[in-house]
Amino acid sequence: MPTIVVDQISKKFGPQTAVDQASFSVEPGEIFGLLGPNGAGKTTIIRIILDIFKADSGNVSIMGGPMTEGKKNRLGYLPEERGLYQDVQLDRSLVYLSTLKGLSGPEAARKVDEYLQRFDLYEHRNKKIKELSKGMQQKAQLIVTLIHNPELVIIDEPFSALDPVNTQMVKDLLREEREKGKCIVMCTHQMHQVEELADRLVLINEGKVVLYGGLQEIQRSYSGQDVRVHSLGAISNTLPGIASIEPENSGSRIHLQAGTSPQKLLQTLVENGVQLEKFEIAIPTLDEIFIQVVTAEGRPQ
Amino acid sequence: MKKFWLVFKHEYMRHVLTKRFILAVLSVPFFIALSIGLGFLSVVLGTDYTPVGIVDRSGVLTDPLINPHDNRGPLESTKFNFYSDETQAQSALDNEEIQGFYVIGPDYLKDGLITLTAIKALGSEVTGDFATLLRANLIKTQPADLRVRLLDGPEITVHSLADSRSVDPSNILAIIMPILAGILFVVVINISGGYLLQAVVEEKENRIMEIILTSVSPDQLMAGKIMGNLSVGLTQLLIWLAAAGIGVVFFTNLETQLGGTEMLRSYLLVLVVTFIPAFIMIAALMAMVGATATEAREAQQIAGFFSIPIFMPLWFITAILERPDSALAVGFSLFPLTSPLTLPVRVAISTVPAWQIALSLGILVVCAVGAVWLASRAFRLGMLRYGKKLSLRELVRGTD
Repeated sequence: MPTIVVDQISKKFGPQTAVDQASFSVEPGEIFGLLGPNGAGKTTIIRIILDIFKADSGNVSIMGGPMTEGKKNRLGYLPEERGLYQDVQLDRSLVYLSTLKGLSGPEAARKVDEYLQRFDLYEHRNKKIKELSKGMQQKAQLIVTLIHNPELVIIDEPFSALDPVNTQMVKDLLREEREKGKCIVMCTHQMHQVEELADRLVLINEGKVVLYGGLQEIQRSYSGQDVRVHSLGAISNTLPGIASIEPENSGSRIHLQAGTSPQKLLQTLVENGVQLEKFEIAIPTLDEIFIQVVTAEGRPQ
Repeated sequence: MKKFWLVFKHEYMRHVLTKRFILAVLSVPFFIALSIGLGFLSVVLGTDYTPVGIVDRSGVLTDPLINPHDNRGPLESTKFNFYSDETQAQSALDNEEIQGFYVIGPDYLKDGLITLTAIKALGSEVTGDFATLLRANLIKTQPADLRVRLLDGPEITVHSLADSRSVDPSNILAIIMPILAGILFVVVINISGGYLLQAVVEEKENRIMEIILTSVSPDQLMAGKIMGNLSVGLTQLLIWLAAAGIGVVFFTNLETQLGGTEMLRSYLLVLVVTFIPAFIMIAALMAMVGATATEAREAQQIAGFFSIPIFMPLWFITAILERPDSALAVGFSLFPLTSPLTLPVRVAISTVPAWQIALSLGILVVCAVGAVWLASRAFRLGMLRYGKKLSLRELVRGTD
């Protein structure tokens, strides 16, 4: 049973359409990317899923039905608007927010200590939130999101304000949660971050779903007739099967003629004595795919 | 329901445990005690307790001498030393045994002539004590009850026509008490409302609204906040009342001063039934302002609009006390923002028709319900508008 089913939802704010007939579903045990440029309607979709906004039309099912008060204890949400009670001591703030998620007082206190130690915040536990650095606050917010062991974790822009060390820590953490069978929805416009993590994704543009499916299938379906090659000598563009060659970074990008497979080209290169350091099929990045999709160029054949 | 208590506890503890709260609570009784103490001290220090001499040539103050200053209270009455002639009195004055001396002329009963010799002018309490001493001794041959009436004057009691309740206008405490209690209640309403205002803006100001909304229902959150902050105000009130109680026990005998418990009871009843809807109304208005504003400072400025009318009856308090049934007083006790302060005071000092009390309370209840409706609406519409104000038009017409 999918953890989230979004079925044909639409939402308008005044004359502006924020979400237009969007549909997708998220399964347990996967990291799901909800992607799109700024203002695409991602946050609105999340708010509709979480019952903060009501959709004008369409249905949302979360953990097997409509949102209830009881289900709030089973989900963790880290909104894009990050905040905690600025004037309250770190550990007290975390304990309060954990008890609001259904943990008992002593259990919350114990788990807060445990998480603070794990996130290197334990020595700052008596400070007020406003005395912490931005990165520390972000880690504290992650604790609030995960402390009650939720089945569903929704994180809006998970890596904003994090340095590379903490970004890596969060990635590891999300993978770990996935191993435990959690359902994780990552909402971001930083698509390269998703490439590393997400199993499946939906791409939203101007409120509409423009792409939906497994990450690898999508990338494969958008990879065209190009290969990336690093070689010691120059490659002649007169070799059979090569349509053209563009220099790219330290290597070359070779466009194949129609009917030539990458394997065929590799064979030709080897036969012609080209010394290869690297040979790969040019899998497009999500950024490239996104640009292709929204500019309606180069649709997959 | 469990989460309501969590919000309640959190809201209550976070205010009550702060240094600011403890200071605010303790400072008021402290400053009142301090100013009373200072006033007392200045009287004590300003009074010269050196005896005053009397040379009585008229024989008015001869045996048996009546001393009318037997139960004077905490401050001592002036001590008088008698001398047989002016030379003795003069040498006592030179030796600084006395601060001055009166010489009562031989024909005092006819010409009323008295001379005073002193180094510097005597305090008014000395002059008063001397006059009373003279008066008491002049009438000492009269019957006892007549003497009391002559010295203490009449005790006027005012009866209102429709009621058996009566107020002695010379009994200051009976008039002051309802006003003070009213002010205290309004202050508590304002303090709690202020906390609430801050509490509602807080989630928005700290950008934590969405985390809260996905943890607890808006109804439980609002209820917990309102009750939590009301309790903070009540805690403050109870501490003040306890301090006031201790003070009153020290200085006066409360029961005799209030002139009967019946008045006290009807006054307290009206005070409480006015207070409850008034608190809910003002709390909801504050919450509404908090939900529409983007940050606490802005919300406080808007909230001033509600605070001013609440205190307005105090500016007209003399007019209300003098004519508790005037159009102004009736108007104030019907208008929901001014009635919490006006109605109990009127009930305490005069007879207010039942229909006026009922109408006044009815208006308050209707306004309270309306304010709660507006507040929850504002909360729903305004909760996710970071940095953007909710306009009045959107509030009344908009949908979510």
